[in-house]
Amino acid sequence: MSERVSWVPEGVDTGMPSAARLYDYLLGGGHNFAADRALAEKFLQAQPNGRTIARLNRSFLRRAVLFMIDRGIRQFLDLGSGIPTVGNVHEIAQKADPEAHVVYVDFEEVAVAHSQLILEHDPRATIIQEDMTKPAEVLQAARYSGLIDFTRPVGVLTAGVFHFVPPQADPNAIVAAYRDAVPSGSYLAVSQFTHDLQPEEMAGIVEVMKKSQNPMYPRTKSEIESLFAGFELEEPGIVPTPLWRPESTNTDDPDKAGIYAAVGRKL
Amino acid sequence: MELPELAARWMHALTSTAYIPLSHAEIEQSLLDSLRDLPESPESVAYRLVSLHATGPDSLRATIEVLSPTFDLPLLARLSSAYAQAMRSDAFDQQEQIKVAIVRAKQRVERTLKVSQARFQEVFGSAALGIAITDLTGRCVEANDKLAEIVGLETGCDLADRDLRDFYHPDDLAALGASYRKVSEGRLDRFRDQRKLIRADGEPVWVQLVVSVLRDADGEPTHHVTMVDDISELHLLQRSLDHQLLHDSLTGLSNRQHFVSQVERQLGGTPITLYHLGLDAFSVVNNGLGHDTGDKLLKIVANRLGELAAEKEAVVARIGGDEFALITAADNVTSTIEEIQNALAEPTFVDDHGIALSASIGVVDRPPAFATAAELMRCANAALRQAKARGKRQWALHDPHDDARRRGKYALAASMPGAWEHGEIKIVYAPVHDLETSEVLGAVARLHWDDLSHNDTMALADSTGLSLPIGRWLLREACAQAARWVEEFGDGAPTLHIALGALQSRDEDLVADVKRALDETGLPPDRLRIALDISSVLAGDDNALVLHDSGIVTALDGFRGGHDELAVLTELPVRSVITRAPAPSPDSPLHQAMRALIATVHGFGVRFGVDEVHTLTDAEHWRQAGADGVIGLLPALTAAEVTDLLATAASRPPGAS
Repeated sequence: MSERVSWVPEGVDTGMPSAARLYDYLLGGGHNFAADRALAEKFLQAQPNGRTIARLNRSFLRRAVLFMIDRGIRQFLDLGSGIPTVGNVHEIAQKADPEAHVVYVDFEEVAVAHSQLILEHDPRATIIQEDMTKPAEVLQAARYSGLIDFTRPVGVLTAGVFHFVPPQADPNAIVAAYRDAVPSGSYLAVSQFTHDLQPEEMAGIVEVMKKSQNPMYPRTKSEIESLFAGFELEEPGIVPTPLWRPESTNTDDPDKAGIYAAVGRKL
Repeated sequence: MELPELAARWMHALTSTAYIPLSHAEIEQSLLDSLRDLPESPESVAYRLVSLHATGPDSLRATIEVLSPTFDLPLLARLSSAYAQAMRSDAFDQQEQIKVAIVRAKQRVERTLKVSQARFQEVFGSAALGIAITDLTGRCVEANDKLAEIVGLETGCDLADRDLRDFYHPDDLAALGASYRKVSEGRLDRFRDQRKLIRADGEPVWVQLVVSVLRDADGEPTHHVTMVDDISELHLLQRSLDHQLLHDSLTGLSNRQHFVSQVERQLGGTPITLYHLGLDAFSVVNNGLGHDTGDKLLKIVANRLGELAAEKEAVVARIGGDEFALITAADNVTSTIEEIQNALAEPTFVDDHGIALSASIGVVDRPPAFATAAELMRCANAALRQAKARGKRQWALHDPHDDARRRGKYALAASMPGAWEHGEIKIVYAPVHDLETSEVLGAVARLHWDDLSHNDTMALADSTGLSLPIGRWLLREACAQAARWVEEFGDGAPTLHIALGALQSRDEDLVADVKRALDETGLPPDRLRIALDISSVLAGDDNALVLHDSGIVTALDGFRGGHDELAVLTELPVRSVITRAPAPSPDSPLHQAMRALIATVHGFGVRFGVDEVHTLTDAEHWRQAGADGVIGLLPALTAAEVTDLLATAASRPPGAS
């Protein structure tokens, strides 16, 4: 199979695998290319539990959104939303309350175009093409979208995103900028790969992802905790994804979940 | 097994194989419905499973395992086959969707590219600057028509594939090449330079160049962008301005300012002698024979002194109405005096009048190296007064011990801290006049120490390291005084102008000092104007920008109209420039030049102010040239005197003026 589709423009490189499409593949989606699937196979060699990790992370996102809905949040900013895949935030939120507003943020051309397709007929959800590591631009575009009222609490979602942000981009400062833009009572959800769980497999994943558009930077629990400066962590704190407010008795092995998850409330 | 229990087991098996974005209760209900439909229509169940997204690699196996004891094999085979079919079409749908997304992404990238290309072409084509994009060897990849016009070609296409360096003056090639390299190597973001280009017809043209680099996606330099501004007219204007500023228009000799700078240059080198000449009884000529005759006489004197100066390798200048000055390497004073008097004594016939000429001469011989030019001028002047007091054709040597007012630079500097401590250095306020309305726009706070001017005091302070503390004191005290005026007189209080010395202008604590002064005194920021010494911004200091961003209006003091200064005006948000220059009389060629310069400054949205304008005639000349404001029309007043004036004005009935 050809590595590179000829009519794909510069900047839309299907030969270079993307983490968003890899994630889609691990979740059983079909929005991916040969290069993404080849990378996924290597990913699964390094971490045989990869599909479960993806499923558990996606499932955490859903519970986090519903938790925020339960706490009265009706507007969401989904940073680094990637390509739309199963269980998108606007579907979950609007099923709970059709009036809920969602602004997706992603930088990658295909993810943005795809999201626009999905959201074409939804006046309460949109995608803005910005780099989530540049909060000033994102916030300006989000205000411009008219879908988020920054005087009311906002649910800021960063599910499986910060492990793509290198330390030199200063993740704490990025979160702080979003934190300062939303009123108190807003929520922040974070899930991110960690080497605290299965360090050997994690090192393997980091190695595999070096070859993609999105190299990966796992973090320790205390590093993730520092993202929540100015937030109060909701119970049960920072835990492997399946242990964060599971819907019923958890049957998945938390030690193999790969990803820590947490939700905090802005003080 | 009861169907609800089976549905529960099926749900648990499925949810560990795939992510189903529903609550467990919802999934269980959907599976229970499926169990009821299964015997009739395994196909619809298969489609439901796929639409639920129970599509993990192990989802079908888990389903068969849960269902096989309860349902028979043919039914499960139909379910499996329909599930495979549904998965295929779902995968096709998704692939279709992402392809559409890719096409859209591509279209958007292309559209964005087209729009930005169109924008670029518009800027490129209609720019008032010549622009060339060259590869790293200097070959033009693209150039606009304006550049072609500057170098004397028809269109930008004529420049394609030409080496831009062909148009540089051969003498500039090495220096420019080095600057271009610095930019492409990333050691400089861009460089700016004034150079001469050689047009296609061989004529030189003066240009301002701004050169930066284009990089590819990996950050590697690929091209240079060279912007070219034709400044030849401006250049000629400045050359003429420079000459006019430094030379006496009647005689063509150096003027006082130029002479002083040459004295400065020669101080500290080989010993010198300074002669200050005053023509004897020149007012008699002027009054008796008329100014025209007087002017002709001055030209003759200038010629003779010029010849003498050329012989002696001396510098000569006309430094006042009937006063000239000479500076020579130290020599025999009496014989030089003799030569000067002989040159002047040759019979002079002007308009048929035979005139006998002589001069009184003050001499400063071999002054100490640390003396300043201003001191020497003052000493020579004092000696000339002595000579004149003795009668015509006399000369006097400056005697350092005689001069009660003499203070060596060290003595002055040494006494400065004490003088400051004892409050001998005072702040006075000079009014700023609007030339259009004749209204007082504000007051300039100035230092006053004995008979030293503000600038002399600041210069002395600069040389002793006292300028920063004194400058901060001036800032703080003047703001406090201005705040008291605002409190007492409200809108009637003058806006405070403060001109900073060169050192303070580039002091990195300046912005903090200004803010602290405003905070502590309560003076509203809009009542303060800070004039920075223009040398600081030319040196790239950003105090002007930061002050502006802090809401403080700034001016640049010491403006002379150079290109570098004009370039700065296009970049910095300053409100005005302040210059010191002879007033441009309307019938002098300088007038038109000055008008053009002021119009250029106005074109940048910047006001034009003039300091040291002491007569109404000069002020009127400046007004006609387009200047906005002047300083110096009225003497500077103490704070108390200003307060009295304001009180008087405030008590006047409205309408009176």
